[in-house]
Amino acid sequence: MRARVAAVAWWLAVAAALLLAPLALRDRLPDPLATHWGSSGSVPDGSSSFTGHLIMTQVLWAGLWLLFFLLGRARDRRAARVTSSACLVAMGVLLLGVDASTLAVNLDAATWREALLPGWHIPAVIAAMVAAGALAAYLSRGAPDEGPAGSGTRPVLGLRPGQRAVWVSRVVNPWLAAATVLTLACAAVMGVLALSGAAPGGFVAGLLPAFVIILVVGLATVAVSVRVGDDLITIGFGPLGWPARRIPLSKVESAWSERRQPGEVGGWGFRGLPGSATIMLRGGECLVLRYRSGGQLTISIDDAERGASLINALIAERVQP
Amino acid sequence: MLLTLNLNDARPLHEQVAGAIRRAIGEGSYRPGDRLPPARDLAAALGINPNTVLRALRDLRDEGLLEFRRGRGVSVAGRTDGRALLVQRARELLDEAKKYGYSREDLITIVEELT
Repeated sequence: MRARVAAVAWWLAVAAALLLAPLALRDRLPDPLATHWGSSGSVPDGSSSFTGHLIMTQVLWAGLWLLFFLLGRARDRRAARVTSSACLVAMGVLLLGVDASTLAVNLDAATWREALLPGWHIPAVIAAMVAAGALAAYLSRGAPDEGPAGSGTRPVLGLRPGQRAVWVSRVVNPWLAAATVLTLACAAVMGVLALSGAAPGGFVAGLLPAFVIILVVGLATVAVSVRVGDDLITIGFGPLGWPARRIPLSKVESAWSERRQPGEVGGWGFRGLPGSATIMLRGGECLVLRYRSGGQLTISIDDAERGASLINALIAERVQP
Repeated sequence: MLLTLNLNDARPLHEQVAGAIRRAIGEGSYRPGDRLPPARDLAAALGINPNTVLRALRDLRDEGLLEFRRGRGVSVAGRTDGRALLVQRARELLDEAKKYGYSREDLITIVEELT
């Protein structure tokens, strides 16, 4: 509730500043105002009338504010909360900075063509925007996400003393494999075309990084395997299980299985931010690991219930004796 | 696939691994036609030589529980042989009985009393 009040107050404050500052300086500004500067230098190449400029900034700010305010409606989710407040504050600071810069260069200029933009304005505004956004993200981080309230069942396997238990599972998505091969084939054809001179030569330079990224990401998302044993959870990516990510059990608080669909997490592949990431290769059964630091990692994998029960049993046995 | 090994088991390792896989399939985590994780993954998780796992898988194939297909890896061929699973459980029961000081004959008496 407090965050919403703050967001509305922020909107009004920025809107008032964007409205009142130009009105206060109206006598010293040319009409039309210089509002656009070309990429080549500090000479303006676009202008708009004083009223047009006021309306434009107000509409832009209202639209951006509404977009990022709605994005943060899921306030119980940390990622949504942080993204929303960081973007709200950053966009406000960006508009304020741009407007301040526009007014400063137009001030006391005879016509808009004489409003020259000093080079340091743009980096300064961007730096202010990034700093404000980062600060807002830090301040709005709040408590880590709660686990699912309803399905809070944490299965625990019964381990007998003198028993060694491991769990191995793996998921392969043949469609992702096919898509990777297809994209690779397209990239190869384009490369051949570019090299043989049928396509513009500048293509090749842009093609090679894309080719490598497709190969690496594609291979890594074709298959994923999870191994649980002793005091490690090992997540292997790709058909060879390499690269692998090793998570010590001491960092994990608990595990459970959940049904998730690609649509809920934003698609296939690696999704989300560190702290609430998902490795999604297919919809359905997923293993959810909850870290002691509050973060969460979801991996789509078969037989997740059994794996979760072993993880919980090992945590109970080894980490909290 | 959840595999459990008994650390005090004196049987050869490949037999123990075969037993663990048989139990995992018998407990219903895999149905006929399902593919097993690669032997390499199983060996890495158990911390043993992949050849030991392969030997266990071959034993289970000879038993009719698994089938090997080129390019498709190892998959479950049929239902677990009830007898093989029973023999294995009985062996575990025997081991446990010995731990508590009961002999084979004592265990047989206990089973006879069950009816």
